Amino acid sequence: MKISKKIVLLGHFGVGKSSLIRRFVENTFSEDYKVTIGVHILKKNVTLTEADKDVSLVIWDLEGNDDINNTRMSYLLGTNGFIYVFDVTRPSTYQNLESDLKFIESKYANIPIKVVGNKKDLVTNEFIKQNNEKFGRLTNCYTSAKTGNNVEDLFNKLAEELIK
Amino acid sequence: MLKAYKEKYAKDLIQYSIIDLTGLIVESDGVLFPNMENQNIGDIHPFFECFYPLLLSKDEELVFSCIHLDYNGKSIIGDVILKTFDGVKLPLLTIHDLTSHYNNYQTTAQVRNESVIHSQILELKNSYLKEKEEFKNTFIANFSHELRDPLTGIITFSDILEKSGLNQQQQNYLDIMKSSSNFLKKMIDDILDLSKIEVGKLNLVIEPFDLIELIEDLKQSYTIKAKQKGLEFHSNFSEKLPKVLGGDALRLRQVLSNLLNNALKFTQSGSVTFNVSLNQIRAQKASIHFEIIDTGIGINEENIDAIFNSFTQINDQNSFKGVGLGLSIAKYLVELTKSKINVTSEYGKGSTFSTSINFLANQTLKLSKKTQPKPIIFDKDRKYNILLVEDSEITQLSVLKILASKGQFFLDIVNTPEDVISKITNFDNEFDLVLMDIKLKEKDGDDIAKLIRKLPEKQHRKIPIIALTAKVFEEDLKRYKKAGINDVIKKPFDQVSLLDTMSKYLK
Repeated sequence: MKISKKIVLLGHFGVGKSSLIRRFVENTFSEDYKVTIGVHILKKNVTLTEADKDVSLVIWDLEGNDDINNTRMSYLLGTNGFIYVFDVTRPSTYQNLESDLKFIESKYANIPIKVVGNKKDLVTNEFIKQNNEKFGRLTNCYTSAKTGNNVEDLFNKLAEELIK
Repeated sequence: MLKAYKEKYAKDLIQYSIIDLTGLIVESDGVLFPNMENQNIGDIHPFFECFYPLLLSKDEELVFSCIHLDYNGKSIIGDVILKTFDGVKLPLLTIHDLTSHYNNYQTTAQVRNESVIHSQILELKNSYLKEKEEFKNTFIANFSHELRDPLTGIITFSDILEKSGLNQQQQNYLDIMKSSSNFLKKMIDDILDLSKIEVGKLNLVIEPFDLIELIEDLKQSYTIKAKQKGLEFHSNFSEKLPKVLGGDALRLRQVLSNLLNNALKFTQSGSVTFNVSLNQIRAQKASIHFEIIDTGIGINEENIDAIFNSFTQINDQNSFKGVGLGLSIAKYLVELTKSKINVTSEYGKGSTFSTSINFLANQTLKLSKKTQPKPIIFDKDRKYNILLVEDSEITQLSVLKILASKGQFFLDIVNTPEDVISKITNFDNEFDLVLMDIKLKEKDGDDIAKLIRKLPEKQHRKIPIIALTAKVFEEDLKRYKKAGINDVIKKPFDQVSLLDTMSKYLK
């Protein structure tokens, strides 16, 4: 039987959640910013070579919100894994990172969360090093939906964690 | 009637379906998405995959708002409601098509989010530029400050050396040293002026001044400079020029000097002409036209704007001394008077720089009476105890040499706050004056001055304190005054400026 896992992307608006999903599912990218309202759901089947398993990832692209308390809770029902996305160029998108993560953990204990700094292509590695403190020790990886850097890896690693 | 209207105008916007506990759509009215019957809900759209665990719940109503659904080529945005029941009744799924409503919401959200992101990015760019600008200005201020101590040493010891009975050749060498240190001092002043201008801290001081005296003085000075370079210097001052005007004479002199220096610098042969005329006097304002014409190397038209940029020299042959701040400062200063500098030039033939500046002109303007510089006199019958608080050895030595040359001073030198207080409060020392460096390692000089002013004994807390510092921005001077510092000697200082200021407080 095929395994199906629900992944929800959270984070402020304009951080690139939809772009990350589009890059992962369709391998496309657009510079145009189109605001997501409500939720878009996309699906991608991945084969995890190490575990030798096929997983169907049902990815929920939620409307961005600058206050996590305003997230519609019905969207989160049955979530298997979260990806919290922030924009490395906009401090307002990561200044509440720790409290946002605490909020998710308090409601969905033991559900894996990946914290991602997106738009890596707009800054230098030096900038990321210098601002590591600000981004928080919880950040798992830095991605670029534009170049595709680390995007596949992000979803695959989370998928591997979900089937363990 | 109403029923007829409803039948005619009602839109089919809600689809009802019944699902069994495995997710199979048992029945559906197909209003929005036809042909759903006998399909499994999870195959319709990935959204419905989340329903499987929910189908087993009892008597619940789960509402999912603003879901993007597409099936068989049709897309809608709507609310989806799953209702489960107690007993044997199968779950009911309703899909409400709210596409039009949500599309309107999307447009509003798009405008709002774009505006928020745009303003956040602008704010970030501004703060980044501000940070960069602050770093640059702090660097310039600190760097210039650091240059002032060694420069004080050069100036002081050049003066001392001059009085040590030099032969002609040695005197010639010394003249070169003095001229070089004056040039360096001018450059440091220019850089500091520029940093003040760029942060908007340079304000004009409007006072009555003698225009004729100012331009005649410049004429005299630049006639000599032109002659030294083998150039002719012409001047034409209109007889209609008013004598007394209200304006910032210091900055006007700086603008005209910078333009004249520029003309002399880039003219290898021929002449420099300095013209001043009256445009008009109206509404108690006089518009004065200044014009400086040279027969120098000239500037290509495409380079004219660039000559006013800081640190820019169009000529890249390095044959012209300077860092290219003079014109930039002149431009900024003229802009402070709400005017501008015009340039016409022909490459290889020469340039004309001109500006018209408005000054106050009315009968009430009175020149302050000039006081002749008083000779520096100390009471010959007594010796003065001076405490120097300074951590730069060069400045320590400079002050020591200057005071020693007068033979009327005892000098104590300290460089920590503790030493200052213990020296002053020691009743064996009766200091007449404290010379206080401001930028000390452990504590700023103005903070030490505050401690002195709080000492219990009147004779200690009333000692005159003079700051020795390069930090003389307006806000610095205010801070020194607030800390109880009586006067300020600007670094780099020479014998005259040091003794002159000290004499005011040593009777």
